This record gives sequence, structure tokens and C-alpha cells, in this order.
Amino acid sequence: MKGNIVNEKTVKLKIKRQDKPNSKIYWQEFKIPYKERLNVIACLQDIQRNPTTQLGESVNPVTWDCNCLEETCGSCTMLINGKVRQACTALIDSLEQPVILEPMSKFPVVRDLQVDRSRMFENLKKVKAWVEIDGTHDIGEGPIMSDKVRSQRYALSECMSCGCCLEACPQFSLTNNFLGAATFSQVRLFNLHPSGSMLKEERLDAVMGEGGITDCGNAQVCVEVCPKSIPLTESIADIGRQTTLQTLKNIFMK
Amino acid sequence: MDKKTTDQIHYLILKTHSLTGVIPVGAFLVLHFSINSLRTVGVWPYQISIDIINNLPFLIWIEAGFIIAPLMFHSLVGFYIYFSGRSNPFRYNYPHNWMYTLQRLSGAVVFAFLIYHLATTVVPKLWYGNTQFEAAPYLIYVMNQEFKSWDGRIIYAIGIVAATFHFSSGLWGFCISWGILIGRRAQTNAGYIFALFGLVLTVMGLSTVVEFSLHPVGVEATEPG
Ligand code: SF4
Ligand code: SF4
Ligand code: FES
Repeated sequence: MKGNIVNEKTVKLKIKRQDKPNSKIYWQEFKIPYKERLNVIACLQDIQRNPTTQLGESVNPVTWDCNCLEETCGSCTMLINGKVRQACTALIDSLEQPVILEPMSKFPVVRDLQVDRSRMFENLKKVKAWVEIDGTHDIGEGPIMSDKVRSQRYALSECMSCGCCLEACPQFSLTNNFLGAATFSQVRLFNLHPSGSMLKEERLDAVMGEGGITDCGNAQVCVEVCPKSIPLTESIADIGRQTTLQTLKNIFMK
Repeated sequence: MDKKTTDQIHYLILKTHSLTGVIPVGAFLVLHFSINSLRTVGVWPYQISIDIINNLPFLIWIEAGFIIAPLMFHSLVGFYIYFSGRSNPFRYNYPHNWMYTLQRLSGAVVFAFLIYHLATTVVPKLWYGNTQFEAAPYLIYVMNQEFKSWDGRIIYAIGIVAATFHFSSGLWGFCISWGILIGRRAQTNAGYIFALFGLVLTVMGLSTVVEFSLHPVGVEATEPG
């Protein structure tokens, strides 16, 4: 499309806003000129350049998070027309209008569409989602991984901690301490690692409590909404198996 | 054994909830439906099976220890689970999310039904005791009365369907949460098998209702009636 052609088409957006954590929630509507292949981020940038509502009122620009713009970092996750997904890959052409934007509901709001997802990081720390290499001595090179395990781990390693699986999960709430599908999947990822498996029991221990694996209700929404198509329900079942075996071991072998 | 932390207790309680759903509660459901469906092949096999059960030694301990106690535990923890989640199948409209919601609802329905069912059968039986009257004619009489009206038929049909759904879908969930079914395809295939299993149980349960409704048994309760 040539730049000098004036296009009458517009994009309507309805945005849920909040000035600071715990402050009043309000809605504003914006109308921006349509361009081909717009995504939600581009619309937000447009609003940032000219923060005027549909009614002509000049307001504070809407804030949001984004970084990679290619669905790899997960920071632009929000509710778009009621469903959780990444704003950078949400194309206006495939969305119903007005496009309704809301921050995720299961994480504390920082401002407008920005949320604080540090709970996910805390959960990763709780389950020691890493391969321990620091210590008093060099543990040397790890054992070789089979190609099967490698490819299995690759799929799990794609998690970008976006939080979609947690937002959509009926068992995950703002106030409880459910660890959620992403965390269980990371336990599996690191237990599958030959050196990482040295912390296997500690990881399983961390998911065998309140908020742990028993609190999953098997609604399997997590796997439906994961943008990285991570086999979360397989991870959950596998952690189910690992914890079951660990329980038997704790009862009969210790 | 060393002292358990609250986390360990939480884990054990939820695991026990899951286990009791299969054994003994679920196993009893299958047994109960199998025996009751003997009604469709004749009155005598049915009457005899009731007699055998009601004359088991230590029956009250078996009933209390293997049925009532696990059932109460399963229900109590079930309600805790019910209130720990917030269903969202309208927003995230996927089959399994509906199953999750129905699993919780059916559990509550079965609980309500069981209160009614036990109050009209086992409670009077225990109250009057085996010495005063024979269980089989009494229970058959109660069922005759129930299935005379559409109220009773509908209440029982709802209770039966809710129970078979809750059990077969719960069995599927059990296999996943205990790590028996891991792969996606395994989960799907087993899902069909459990659906079939649930269907068979439902047919068994409902056919008993139909049989009672069509052909009430000519038995009068001895006492208390
Ligand atoms: S299976 Fe359901 S309850 Fe479990 S983590 Fe996934 S969405 Fe949540
Ligand atoms: S598992 Fe998927 S949905 Fe969940 S945080 Fe990771 S990438 Fe996002
Ligand atoms: S900006 Fe990184 S996922 Fe959208």
C-alpha cells in the first residue's frame, strides 16, 4: 500500500488501565489508523505517540512490556479479547474489534498492561531449576546425553516463562501458592539432565507439598494455551510418576 | 517415624484422596452396580446377593471401615479441592477444561445423592437392626417405592450418571496424576477406554432402574415397612 493513500479504516482498542499497583481500574477506548499486518504492539506504539482516547481526551500513554517482538521472551503476555497470549504475535487482521486488552489477572499489576511475574522466578528457585556446577571441587564433564533425551529436553527448554499456562490454569490464583505447569515442566527438564539429576530428590521434595503436583486438577488448559507447544501434561504426568516412586522409596527404602 | 511437615501432610492427604477414590470407593461402586444389575436377570439372584452381603460377618465394620470412612474422607477432601480452584471453561473452552469442571460438579451431585440414598436405605437398616427384619425384602420394598414415581427415577438416574462419570473420569485423572499414563497419545487412548468403561457402568446402573420401574418385585417388607 502506498503511503500517500489515505485509508479510512481504523482499529478500535479497548484497554483496561491502572495507574499503579492496587489503584483504581478504569477502561479507555482508542481509535488508530489501520495499516496492513499490524500487531497489538504496533497499535500500542501508535497510542504511545498520540495518547488520545476515542473521545479526544488526552491521557497518559498506556504502558506495556515487550522485548523480542518474535514470541521468544514472553514479556508481552496479556489478555487479548479475553484470552492470554503474546501481544507481539497477535495480528489485528485476525482479531475481532474492538480489540480488548487487559493485563494478566493472576499476577500483580504494576501499571496498565504490565504485570510482575517474579513469582515464576521464585518458583524456579524453589525447585532448583538449574544444573548445579558450583561446589568445592570440579565435578568435571557431565555424562553424554542420548539423542532422545536431548530432543525431549530441547522441547521443554523452550519455555520462556511467559505465564500463559498459569494465567489459564483454574488451579492457579493470585493468592494461592500453586507452582503451576511451567514449574513442573522445568523440574522434568532438569531431572532429565544427567548432571542435573543429582538434585532430583530435592526438586521432587519441593513439588510434594502444598501448591505442588497434587494440586493440579488435570484441566489441561495449560497445554492448550502454551505458545511454545510444550508437552505440559506429559511433564505433569511424568512428575506424577517421579513423585509416586519417590513416595514409595521414602516409605520402603529409607 | 519422624514428624511430618505440613507440606508432607498436604501431599499425603491429597494422594490418599486420589487413592480412596479408586480403592475402596470406586471398587465398591463397580461391585454395587454389578450386584444390583442382577435384578435385570431375575429377582432371586438379586435377593440372594443382598442376603449374602447382609449376612457377612462383621458387616457393620466392613461398611464403616471400607465404605463410609473412605467415602467421607474422599468427600471432605473433595470439597476442599472443589473450593481451591476456579473453573473457567467459558473463557478457555477446551474439552478437558469442561471435564475438570464436570468432575467437580459431579462429585458434589454424588455427595448430595448419597446423603439421600443412605438415609433411605442403610440408615433405617442400621437403625432397626438385622434382628428385627430381613434386609432383602425391606430394601427391595424401598426400591419398589422409589421407582414408582418419576421423582425417584429421575433422582436415581442423576445420581447414577453423576457417579459413573465421576468415577470413570476420575480413574483417568488418577492414571495421569500417579504417572501411569504419561504420553499424550497414551492419555487420549486410555481416555476412550475409560469412557467406554463409564458407559458400561451407566448402562448397568440405569438398566436396574428401568427394570425396577417396569417390574416392581412382589415383596412386602416384614418390618418396619
Ligand atoms: S493440568 Fe490443569 S490444573 Fe494442572 S497445571 Fe495444567 S491447567 Fe493447571
Ligand atoms: S510452559 Fe509455555 S505457557 Fe507456560 S510459561 Fe512456559 S512457555 Fe509460557
Ligand atoms: S515481545 Fe517477546 S514474546 Fe512478545
